[in-house]
Formats: sequence, structure tokens, C-alpha cells
Amino acid sequence: MKRRGRGIACMWYPIGFTVSANPSAALVKVNEDGTATVLTGTVETGQGSLTVLAQIAAEELGIATEDVHVVSADTDITPMDTGAIASRTTYVTGNAIRLAAERAKAVLFEVAAPMLGVKPEQLEARDRKIQVRNFPQRCLRIGEVANQAQTVMGQPPIGSASWNPPTVALDPETGQGKPFSTYVYATQIAEVDVDDETGEVDVIRIVAAHDCGTPINPMLVEGQVEGGISMGIGFALQEEILFDGAGRQVNPSLANYIMPTSLDMPEIEVHIVASHDPTGPFGAKGVGEPTSVPTAAAIANAIHDAVGVRITSLPATAEKVLAAIKEKRAREALPGGGTRPAALA
Amino acid sequence: MTRKPTLDRERGETLRPADFDARLPAAAPPAAFPIETLVPQVREQVPAVGQRATRPDGRMHGLGQTRFIDDLAFPGMLHAKIKRAGIAAARIRAIDTRAAEAMPGVMAVLTGREIPVNSFGPSLKDQPVLADARVFHAGDGVAAVAALTEQIALEALERIKVDYEPLPAVFDPFEALREDAPRVHAPESNVYASKVIRKGDIEQGFAASDHVFEGRFRTQMVEHAPLEPHASIALWDANGRLTVHSTLGRITLGRADIARVLALPVNRVRVVATIVGGNFGGKNEITQEPVLALLSKKTGRPVKGVYTRTEEFIATTTRHPIVMDYRTGVTRDGRIIARKVRLLLDGGAYCSWSETTLGKACILSAGPYRIDHLHAEAIAVYTNKTMTGAMRGFGAPQVCFAYESHMDDIAAALAIDPLEIRLRNAFDEGSASPTGQVLHSVVVKESLALAAERFGWKEPRS
Repeated sequence: MKRRGRGIACMWYPIGFTVSANPSAALVKVNEDGTATVLTGTVETGQGSLTVLAQIAAEELGIATEDVHVVSADTDITPMDTGAIASRTTYVTGNAIRLAAERAKAVLFEVAAPMLGVKPEQLEARDRKIQVRNFPQRCLRIGEVANQAQTVMGQPPIGSASWNPPTVALDPETGQGKPFSTYVYATQIAEVDVDDETGEVDVIRIVAAHDCGTPINPMLVEGQVEGGISMGIGFALQEEILFDGAGRQVNPSLANYIMPTSLDMPEIEVHIVASHDPTGPFGAKGVGEPTSVPTAAAIANAIHDAVGVRITSLPATAEKVLAAIKEKRAREALPGGGTRPAALA
Repeated sequence: MTRKPTLDRERGETLRPADFDARLPAAAPPAAFPIETLVPQVREQVPAVGQRATRPDGRMHGLGQTRFIDDLAFPGMLHAKIKRAGIAAARIRAIDTRAAEAMPGVMAVLTGREIPVNSFGPSLKDQPVLADARVFHAGDGVAAVAALTEQIALEALERIKVDYEPLPAVFDPFEALREDAPRVHAPESNVYASKVIRKGDIEQGFAASDHVFEGRFRTQMVEHAPLEPHASIALWDANGRLTVHSTLGRITLGRADIARVLALPVNRVRVVATIVGGNFGGKNEITQEPVLALLSKKTGRPVKGVYTRTEEFIATTTRHPIVMDYRTGVTRDGRIIARKVRLLLDGGAYCSWSETTLGKACILSAGPYRIDHLHAEAIAVYTNKTMTGAMRGFGAPQVCFAYESHMDDIAAALAIDPLEIRLRNAFDEGSASPTGQVLHSVVVKESLALAAERFGWKEPRS
């Protein structure tokens, strides 16, 4: 019969490389009409990073996301970037782009200040305008200022910057140090049905609560979490590269290396934990990798809750779960069997 | 009377009939789609941060207009295929490529000895682009062919004869640690990376514990399996400058590696990535790019290579299988006082991103918990299997499976609710990490509380 269980798992995960430098450089150009072009060497690998980076540039320049065009991933054109790895794009590349946008904005403020009869420090960029702080009616369209800067003052509003997360090397003996600039945290809770006659595990529901600092784009955070959970389910229950005795893979194809499909996906609830990291762009950290970290642990704990067996090696295939259930029944049939896990000392 | 030459006929005069195949598959013919310049409405998206902003690539994907590498074609482009060793450990005595070279439609054959600097890797440069002297795992490439079509290239691979002298191989990480185990690379040891983290006094911590629990956990090797396989196109201009269109997720490192392997100045290499159809860590380093570049140089034509799904499994990096031993000392009320962790990573045939994976796994292995006395150590060993490398989480999904399974065993033994035992041990703002780092923006307890509340953890169970 099917037995329902629930399991919880939490995790922590760092953003960026372990100690090693992993800088990003960026260039932001404000065009004559107030739209902007961002140059970044990172690569869009499907996660939506270019959208997030456009939002960061737009926020800093006080323009709309769609006013920003991002040019990426061409070593002849775009500045150095460590790339789409280590959940670092929003945090590291995002910081570089925010700084570059700030520098382009400084040129606009310098040009706008005499036009508005104030000092550059009194200005802010909002709603596609350069305006006097606390006096938003005293303003100029950002395009007007950008055009003035470029075609009259001869100061094209271009900013470039780079950013590298601050770290401290680890002591080789003790491992003490500051390997990462920041970390994210998350919890996932899985609800499963385990068939105690076949060992088959069906994941019914996963509730995920992830920290990513400020969510620059909540929709893309949700997408990452859902995708990460699908990878986590494959890792927990199905996927395994198998070798023959001569070291050759025996299942190198999607016909017999079984991955979860949309039909295997449970109901997923994604919640974003309120959080703000002052070292990230507008408080953002990252979310890419952590989304698939706690899933397998939560499912393994749910299996234990459902049928009382501890799966100690992944994947928890039906065969493995059934063998564990049979072993438990055999143990319980012995006198004195069936106690809960005993402390060793 | 002369007929006016058409463009096609002009091309026909310079290309052999068989070469017409080289123009296939052509780029998809332009489909009719509505061209709209989307202009945002004022204040529609201001402020920008926090908006559920639509992706600019979404419309392209939806209309089928995104150009992935396999959608790109250049005039005269050839197709490359790589012959895989199929043997896990061997010395290569000889490679006979004559029968392949003689095949109609085969334009060039390449072996490892023709690669200027035949080694690469993000930390240890232990990986050949194509195996030349030795084979280290069954997925190693040993020769490559550029031909007019993929089919011809595949047939040509069958006609390449490689003479192997089989060598003893090792597949199990524990066996690889033994004194008498065959050595995958260095003669001294199969261990190629290690890390230790010590905090407090582990023995004192266990002595002060009310209970000590132990557990061994294992994880398997898995593949990233992105929708789009590794794919690249290499072409040269007349000034000897190389352009590589590639699915690489890290073009800066990719360019440096390609330049190094081909012994070219970095600025003579251009790497262009398109929108990549999934990475998950598997596209973080070069694979076939130098092979395509050299085949392109030999033939004077653009050369495309697209991995098959099988190659994605056997010839690219995978996730590290890890054997994880945990020993944890707790108080009666479930506070963790001491934890000892030992991790053994099966690295496969090459280091790749193992050092990063090992380091992150070791640092994260204690879990997001305040533990005063900690000793975590991790080692990675070579085996003659598919290489492991970067994959979403760098060792974290493995250790999380271990520390969270272990946590539930402890909770069950002490009859403490799994949520409660985590809340009793979790980091707070300002907690010290295993490496002694003072943590900021810590919300692990908030994430536990939020997930539990939305799940209905505390509600009575039916």
C-alpha cells in the first residue's frame, strides 16, 4: 500500500569562487535618447541572467528594463567576465554593471547640474528623468541630458567598472579564513508516497523557501527553483551513470538513463525568504545552484518518514527502497528488532 | 551565345558536386514572424528591480528565432566527429588513418600528436584534447575527422585503426587509494587534491557529547544532460585569426585555453557564445574546440562539431560520486557539539573542477549549523572512469544529502521533531562558519520557518 511521508532539508551555499579571484567587468553606455546598452562577457545559459542584468542597469540609471539592451558573450566586443558559474552572475556581474551604470550616470549628473542650476550631488535618476532630489518637478528627460552630454558637451555618458568578491585565503593547516563573500540559505520540504510493495517513490509536493537576497526578478527566481527541484528529483530517485567491469558506461543515452519528465514533477510551491545583502547589487545574492541542493535530502527524509527505512546511497530507486523495506521487515521479525536508530555512545 | 551565369552556377564551378552537401544543413529559411519593436510605457517598469520583467530572449524562443550553434551554417562548412577510445586504460601504439583519409568526402583527419600543446584543465592541466600516448578513460577522443557530412565523418571513424596496449585500470575510489593500485596519472599516488578544515578541539567535543552518531552516505555519478549538447564551429580568416562559435558558458577562460592549446596569441582568438541551451556546469571548459580549429586550418573551411547524446555522457564532465562518513556528537537536547566528516571524491580520469568541488563540499559538509568542534577532510582520487567536474552545486547536493539524512537520524533517536532540531542548531546572523568566517545576511531559520508554515508542518497529520 502507499504510505505518505514528509521530509525536511535545509542548506547553505556560497556565491562565487572559493577564495580565487572571479572578477567581472562591464561597460554601460547611455545613448542619445536615454536608452542604454550594456556590454558583459557573461553568457546567457537559459537562466535569464541577461534580463536580471538589464534590470540592475535600469534601476541604477532610473530607466525601464526594456530601455536596456544587453550585448553579451563575444570576446572581441565584451569585457572580461568569469562567466556563468558558481551562482555568481547576479552578485558579481550585477555589481560590476551597477558600478558601471553609476559611473555613466555621474557623467549625466555633471552635465545636468548646470542645466538645472544645482550641484551634481543633489540629483537623482528616476522615471527616465534626471531630477533634483526632493524637487521632482525640477527635472530633465534623461535623453535630453544624454544628448546634451554627447553632442554638445562632448562627454559621452559611458561608464566601465569591474568587481571581484572580497575573500581571505584559507590557512592550509586549519582551513580557517573567508573563502566566500556571501552565502544563501534555503529549506525544502518534500511530501512523498512510497509503495511498500514495489518500493516506488512518488513525490507529491515540494515546498521550497529560498533566500537570494533581494529578488531582482521574482519570476526568474521561481523558474530557477522549479528547474533545480527537477534536477534534485532525478538525483534523488532515478539518475545514475552505470559502468561495466571494463569501465565503460552501460547507459549513455536518455533511453536508459532515466530523467524526470514533466509527468514526474510534483506540485511545487516557491517562496522567497525576505532578505537583503548590503554587499550585493540592490541587496541581491544569487539562486542558481542552491535550488537543487536540498531536494534529494528532503526526499530521502520523506521516504524514511513514510516507511521507516534510511536510504544511505542515491538514487533511491524502487529496487533499493524495496530491498530496504524487506530488510527492515526481516529485522523486525527477529526478537528485539525494530527499535529506532540507536546512539552509539 | 553565352548564358548569364547565375550565382548557383558560379558556386558550382568552384565546388565539386559532392560539395553541395557541404552547404547543408543550411540555416533555416526565414519564417514569417511579426516584427515589433517593443517600447515600454512610461512608469511601466520603474523601479526595475523586483519586477517580473519579461525576458528579451523569450519572444525569440517562442517564435523559433533563437539561433543555437546547430542553427548556424557557413558556406563550405564541414562536419567533424571524434573517435572514442572505448577502452579505459591503454597505451596507444599506433593510429592508422590512411583508410579514412582515402574515403571520398573526408577532407581531413587529426590525431593528438598534431595538437601544439595537448593538455588543458582549469587547475591541473592533466587532460589531453585528443589522447596521444595514453588513454585514461573509455570516452577519451583518439582521432577526429572532418567530412562533407556527419554520416561520412562517422563512417570514416570506423576505418581509423588504433593499436592499443591495454594497461591495468582502477574503477573504485577505495581501490584507487591502495598502495598497489594501478596509477591513473602520477606514479606516486592517485590522490590529486585534498582539503582539511579544523575548528575547536574535536576530541574534546566528542568527550563532552551525550551521544555520538555515525553514518556513511554515498552518491552516484550523474550527467548534466542539457537540452543542447556541446556544439561549436571554428573558422579562420586570411590573417590567421580564429573565430569559434561555441556553447561555452565561460568565454574568457575558453579563449585563454584555446589560445594556449593552439599556441596562438590570445587576441588572435575570438570566442562567440550564443544563447546556450543549458549548462549546469557542464560547459565550463573547452572540449572539442581546438580539434575543430585544427581541422578547419587543415581544410581551409569552417568546421562544425555537435556532440551526440552518448558523447554528452561519456566524453564530458559529470557529477562527483562521494562517499561521506559522518560522526556527530550531540547533547541530550539535540545541540551538535562535535562533527567529524571524511569525504572521498571519485574524480574519474581528470581533475577538471575537482579542486573547487572538493573545497566547497568540505566547507559546506558541516551544514548550516553552529558547531564548535569540527574536523572535515576531503580527498579526490583518480579512477579510469568518465571525468567529474563542475555541476550545479559543486559537491553541495552530495553533502546536503548526508548531513540532512544524518540530522534526521539524530532527531529520531532523540525523539526531537526534525524541524525543531534544525532550528536549535542553525546559524544566526553573526554566527561563525566552519572556516571561522562571521556570516551576514543569514536567514536559514527564516527559511525553515517559512517552508514549515507554508507546508503545514505543525498541523495535525491525518
